[in-house]
Amino acid sequence: METVRLLDEHEFPDELKPYFDGTKAWFGIDYIPKMSKVLCYQPEMSRTHGRCSRRTLVDGALKRRQKEMIAVAVSAINACDY
Amino acid sequence: MAHTAAGKLQGYADDAYWYEAAYVYGVTNGINAVADGLRLPLDFSDSGVRRPLVKLLEFEEASDRVKEIYTDIMAFYVTEQVPSIFRALAHDDGYLTDYWKAVRFVFQDSHLDRLTKEAVALAASMAAKSDYGVDLHLREARRLGLTEKGLMEVVQVVQLFSCYTKIADGLQLEPDFTHLLQVSG
Repeated sequence: METVRLLDEHEFPDELKPYFDGTKAWFGIDYIPKMSKVLCYQPEMSRTHGRCSRRTLVDGALKRRQKEMIAVAVSAINACDY
Repeated sequence: MAHTAAGKLQGYADDAYWYEAAYVYGVTNGINAVADGLRLPLDFSDSGVRRPLVKLLEFEEASDRVKEIYTDIMAFYVTEQVPSIFRALAHDDGYLTDYWKAVRFVFQDSHLDRLTKEAVALAASMAAKSDYGVDLHLREARRLGLTEKGLMEVVQVVQLFSCYTKIADGLQLEPDFTHLLQVSG
């Protein structure tokens, strides 16, 4: 159970709609992931950290799927279920 | 869990990729725990003041069986020195024999290529703050073709997801990508 209340989509400022739409498209889902809601609680965090994340995960020297796999390894080492 | 789902959507749909990756970061973590715990010297960069807490069995003093394994290890890593983790394990030649076979199997080209596996192992080592693992897997990844651009991409993923995992754990976020993780096969 989360230790904070995660806001519903309509509770976020309208300015975040493009960010949320981009997140849904990025993951191919029709809802906002909990982590995105956490990062958007303070939009300056989502703008800056979110840009870092997308900049990092696009195809580069490594493909996105390789980077997602590396992210899973990091999560496993950090013993994180999310 | 979110990134297993994302990875499946991006082309690693078959579970075989995820089994292999899990073997890689699992074996890597096992090696790193022992190597750093025993303060084994780094193999490819300056160890500083690290002094091993166990004797490392050198090639010249090894049995013929161990020499055979050492030769295979050096060929696999393309090095003239057996990495210290295997010299530390060589006191039990039966254990070394099977453990090396497992390591070799896990890191060989398969569904995932060897470079991808080394990138995963490097990231796992950085996340675990393992000096030994970073030294070994950075050398291997570079030897297998990881560019400096690719290295920075690995570094960025490690940094970002070491951040996300702590936030998720601190706020006890429950996974919300589970339904995307269809079992293949």
